[in-house]
Amino acid sequence: MTVAVRTLPVRTLTVWCADWPVIALGCSLDEPVAVVYANRVVATSPTAREHGVVRGLRRRAAQGRCVELKVCERDLDREARTFEPVLAALDDVTPGVEVTRPGTCAFATRGPARYFGGEAALAELVLARTGEAIGELVADGPEGAPAGMVRVGIADGPFAALLAARSADPARADPITVVKPGHSPEFLAPMPITVLDRPELTVGSGPGPANRSESAKNSGPAKHSGLSDVLARLGLHTLGAFAALEAADVLARFGNEGMSAHRLAKGLDERSPKGRLPPPDWSVANEIDPPADRIDRVAFCARSLADELHQRLWTEGVECVRVAISAETEHGESMVRVWRHEGAFLAALTADRVRWQLDGWLSGRVGGSAARPTGGITRVVLAPQEVVAAGGRQLDFWGSSSANEIDRRAARVAARLQGQLGADAVRVPVYHGGRHHNEQLKLVPSADVELLSRSVAAVDSGASVGADGVAPWPGALPAPSPTRVLSAPCAVELFDADGAVVTVSGRGFLSAPPHSLTDNGRSSEVVAWAGPWLLDERWWDDERHCRQARFQLLTADGLARLVTLESGQWAVVAIWD
Amino acid sequence: MALAHQRTLPLLPAVSDLFVGGSLQRGLTVAVNGIGATSMALVLAAGPSRAGSWTALVGTEELGLGAVAEAGIALERLLVVGPVDASTNAGVVAALVGAVDVVLVGSGLRFRPADLRRLSARLRESGSVLIQIGSPQIGSGKAPGVDVGVRVMAAQWSGLGEGHGHLRSRKVEVRAQGRGAATRTRAVSLLLPGPNGAPQRPVAPVCPELPRPDVAESTGAAAVSPDVAAAAV
Repeated sequence: MTVAVRTLPVRTLTVWCADWPVIALGCSLDEPVAVVYANRVVATSPTAREHGVVRGLRRRAAQGRCVELKVCERDLDREARTFEPVLAALDDVTPGVEVTRPGTCAFATRGPARYFGGEAALAELVLARTGEAIGELVADGPEGAPAGMVRVGIADGPFAALLAARSADPARADPITVVKPGHSPEFLAPMPITVLDRPELTVGSGPGPANRSESAKNSGPAKHSGLSDVLARLGLHTLGAFAALEAADVLARFGNEGMSAHRLAKGLDERSPKGRLPPPDWSVANEIDPPADRIDRVAFCARSLADELHQRLWTEGVECVRVAISAETEHGESMVRVWRHEGAFLAALTADRVRWQLDGWLSGRVGGSAARPTGGITRVVLAPQEVVAAGGRQLDFWGSSSANEIDRRAARVAARLQGQLGADAVRVPVYHGGRHHNEQLKLVPSADVELLSRSVAAVDSGASVGADGVAPWPGALPAPSPTRVLSAPCAVELFDADGAVVTVSGRGFLSAPPHSLTDNGRSSEVVAWAGPWLLDERWWDDERHCRQARFQLLTADGLARLVTLESGQWAVVAIWD
Repeated sequence: MALAHQRTLPLLPAVSDLFVGGSLQRGLTVAVNGIGATSMALVLAAGPSRAGSWTALVGTEELGLGAVAEAGIALERLLVVGPVDASTNAGVVAALVGAVDVVLVGSGLRFRPADLRRLSARLRESGSVLIQIGSPQIGSGKAPGVDVGVRVMAAQWSGLGEGHGHLRSRKVEVRAQGRGAATRTRAVSLLLPGPNGAPQRPVAPVCPELPRPDVAESTGAAAVSPDVAAAAV
């Protein structure tokens, strides 16, 4: 048996749509747009870049550099959904398109390149097809995609192909880079070492829901980030310099993580082909009866299906890096997509992919290139296509500890209720901060945070800086906080002893001590009170400007209320119950 | 087989006298009523939460989160569910009961008697505790589906004056009565909330202690007015 000295990675074509988050939101590329997530810019339009708005800026800093900047929140679901027509356009070229993340997809060129007459011809064809599909999406570009937006790269292996696509010259009419077979190492050598961070390569580049669940597992976008930093400080500034090191030395010094980065730098596959296990039939399927025509029902099934798949893979000691998701409708239409993840799929990530794919299909236009199914979805199948040995998890001596099991049970019920009632139905508190009684903590959907092993900064209770660095809010009322915060302030009247309405002057002086509170016609005597505590917030913002005086009132019935006076109107906003 | 202490959930020391054995029996349904019912329910949930249990709030849209944190509930183990409509609330609570140790249900949520029976069966089986805040259908511990009724009364605030100070603490009487071993009424007086938001047992009023003559001499008699010193002698 002959052993190949060096196995070349699969020849791969990568399509990269620049600024996909901007396009997916339906924004015009001619206006300055920045897509932010968690207060950081994750994508910008070319016009915004000309103004100096770059990824990673804070929202306020970005607005400072370009005042007319349009700031949009990131919407991963929408990005994936709008990418579906592009994928459908490529389905005619080859059946095996893999989606790396919304905006980037790849496929092996061997078959299609022969059929369409060479790699250059194939790249031209792909460019034309994607350009047409995107042209339909972009409102003001009927003649096709804006020049330089779609870029195509062909090289050995997905890593080199993506870098090739990204290095394609956008100024040219056809931004295509073809790296000759076997020349990937030379192509990669001058690349800066920071490309190993690969912020673009995985879904949830920038913190997305997917990314957060990944970070818990220490795999994901920032996979090699510490490594590239260390390498740069060691004086290795290019991939070529890193690749020139001995593999054994890299393994000895940097372990498996360094090894996979080294393989990438040398233009090889990230993992040794030997480590790839032949996947037996581990696919899982779920029949949906009655057929589901709404995405939330399918997503609910997908979630349990993904759990089942991962349980099965876990018992086999493997993780899935490529999964094929197929769906069938009651009228026999079917749709298959292959998704790849650079780390390994977690159950939640797989379920996300199912939702993205089917959402794109179900919401497709009837006459468009991506035809919408005519019936409800009856069957969903998840088939792992490529698996690697699991990274491994060391259990406690007595199995998993019971505390973890309690946490996991709670996380499961949260996911289940979200599937049933919608994402906003299950929320968890996060520290927010503010002067108002209801601003210190905010509720966010539990899917947006890592439920297990999270920590919430304690509410400051007028004390000094807390243990977790939360400083007190000057102007906030001291503890105890009210137990009932009325969802809508309840208008009341507050009278002094003479029966006149109590007022507060512009300088914060009270007209007379309050004597009685009239709430809905019922009057009760005020036995104790304190205030006014004045608040004048966000005077620069017309919509959120808040100027009010706050009082604590205790009435004869023993009920303590937080009462505000704003624009001459007294209102009860919270009650100590 | 479960040991006795595994069938209970710990309570905060301030309220442990309200329940048999000083802890919450798993599977209990507790109804809390009166002015201060919300604070009391939070305090009951805080003990298990501090000990590592998860807490779920259902139908409590108006609950102040600051008070939840100050009562001692661990925010990192808190799920807020809702709003839920009348047709699904029983299902939602039943789903939570198996997975979360303490489920707090707001007064806006009503259950049909049949749902309530099914729920208490599920509670006993799964070992969670259901706490209902100000539930109008349960007046006493004898109402169907409720094991212990807790009533908060005689609320008296301190700290707030006539135009000065701020709300600091509220002294309340809490009575708990239920069925079975809890038939005997148990009562505690409590600062709910205490000065820092957390519940406390009220300390007996401290008498102003008069300086002893020997102390006064050693530290300098100038600090003590002569008539006080004379009275002490």
